[in-house]
Amino acid sequence: MFDKILIANRGEIALRVLRACKELGIATVAVHSTADDDAMHVRLADESVCIGPPPAKDSYLNIPALLAACEITGADAVHPGYGFLSENARFAEILAEHNVHFIGPRPEHIRLMGDKIAAKRAAKELGIPVVPGSEGGLGTDSQAERLAREVGYPLMLKAAAGGGGRGMRVVTEPAELAGALAAARAEAKLAFGDDTLYLEKYLKRPRHIEIQVLGDGKGGAIHLGERDCSLQRRHQKVWEEGPSPALNTDARDQIGETVANAMRAINYFGVGTVEFLYEDGKFYFIEMNTRIQVEHPVTEMITDIDLILEQIRVAAGGGLLLNQEQVKFHGHAIECRINAENPVSFRPSPGKIVHYHPPGGLGVRVDSAVYNGYTIPPYYDSLVGKLIVRGKTRSECLMRLKRALDEFVVDGIETTLPLFRALAREKDVIDGQYHIHWLEDFLARGGLPE
Amino acid sequence: MARKSDNTETPAIDHEAIRELAKLLDETGLTEIAVERAGVSIRVARHSGGAMGRTRATEPVVTQPSTVTAAPVSIDPAQHPGVVASPMVGTAYLASEPGARPFVEVGASVKTGEPLMIIEAMKTMNQIPAPRPGTVIQILVEDGQPVEYGQPLMIIE
Repeated sequence: MFDKILIANRGEIALRVLRACKELGIATVAVHSTADDDAMHVRLADESVCIGPPPAKDSYLNIPALLAACEITGADAVHPGYGFLSENARFAEILAEHNVHFIGPRPEHIRLMGDKIAAKRAAKELGIPVVPGSEGGLGTDSQAERLAREVGYPLMLKAAAGGGGRGMRVVTEPAELAGALAAARAEAKLAFGDDTLYLEKYLKRPRHIEIQVLGDGKGGAIHLGERDCSLQRRHQKVWEEGPSPALNTDARDQIGETVANAMRAINYFGVGTVEFLYEDGKFYFIEMNTRIQVEHPVTEMITDIDLILEQIRVAAGGGLLLNQEQVKFHGHAIECRINAENPVSFRPSPGKIVHYHPPGGLGVRVDSAVYNGYTIPPYYDSLVGKLIVRGKTRSECLMRLKRALDEFVVDGIETTLPLFRALAREKDVIDGQYHIHWLEDFLARGGLPE
Repeated sequence: MARKSDNTETPAIDHEAIRELAKLLDETGLTEIAVERAGVSIRVARHSGGAMGRTRATEPVVTQPSTVTAAPVSIDPAQHPGVVASPMVGTAYLASEPGARPFVEVGASVKTGEPLMIIEAMKTMNQIPAPRPGTVIQILVEDGQPVEYGQPLMIIE
């Protein structure tokens, strides 16, 4: 087992990782920018190292500074959290060169799944159903046009180096294609440094359903069920729940096994999430994330498995604790990502939290790094915290969620709490009848009164 | 900064004394207390900051006399206008190699750009230049001490 883990992240996930380390008896090093001097996980860590000024590129993305911090503290492992360098294969390799463990998959798998075209090809070869579309990157415009006619409209242009909801563009008719190709290439070049595009059939009203996996790197892997993350705004997940209201046990077992088998075939090491669009009873692979995800607590609440702990254990060579038969699902969980944003305009609202009261009680979990008097810095994402609620049934879960949301107080900044209070009372949400466009439709028709 | 105290060949650490001084620090609201006794000096300092008034680690520094702090300081070094803050994470060395004379000593007069010390990270030596001309009135780190970004290294007036 590792002696000392350096947590290369910030905010709620850094605190989450710190908690798992403490429970495992592993010493913790918190690295932080000057803007995060007073972060909760920095205060709780055994050691802290300031690694740079506020901008992420000079601090949380600053590989030399992170390496130097490992060196002076003697950390033998780094947990990258999510975002930042968590899916940077080069960072993983550099750490290995310096004899520091990277708590994550092997660089080759990070690279494979980071290239969305290669990932799709790999998924197809492994028997995972994919969205119909181009076999690889799009060549000339006329080749793209021919392919588009085969796949059919509407279709989606996607950046090969994109992911996480970025670098995507819908094309509804042939006349739009040429213009869309040019614009998408330019955007991709700017955002990801690579203008390679691929093309997929655009599914009209799919759900976003993802499967959590865990592999031991030696051909052993299990799936931990699904999360339904269909409620999104601008491709960013807002509300996640598990199990999905749309799946029954057979459907879950089937897709779960398909995915677990694929992970066994590639000797996948660590945690990962395979994401699908689901429409008319069919799954379509869109991408795989080779890291822990923001919404991992949903799975933890219904399986009673600590995913970060498992991630660390597996990375230290501990192997899988459970086989597939032993993974059991109990009850229902819903997570709300609460952001420091105006709930109607979504304008960011950084600033000082003058009064903070998180909800509590049975089945209520708040994963947040904020505290009374904390000032949310303007340099990073606007996540205040995650409220995760569990119930024996989905109805009980919803009742508990409503109660918890009503009790939650965050004064001094604007938050999206009112949005969740409204969603928890919306008929379609209560019935579990939604898809990936539902939330934006709801907002467009003024679902949330000012 | 890393909360492990960084001592090499010093006598047994008087934990009680350090605890006493840290308590005194909290009780009186001072930012620094230095005590010299029986040839050993102890300096306990509070770093500034903390939204709730809670300090980060108080850093006990146990030294043999004659090396580090010379002038009695009553203000927090990080706030001193002449402070030179570390631009990087690494290990500070006061001389170009072990056994060599330090780049500067307290009282030395320096010009802009003159090397003050080296910070090493991953086997790369980085010279830290003086940001302005003046006199070195305080050296705040020891030879071989790990430093973080922004850590006060020296005071040049």
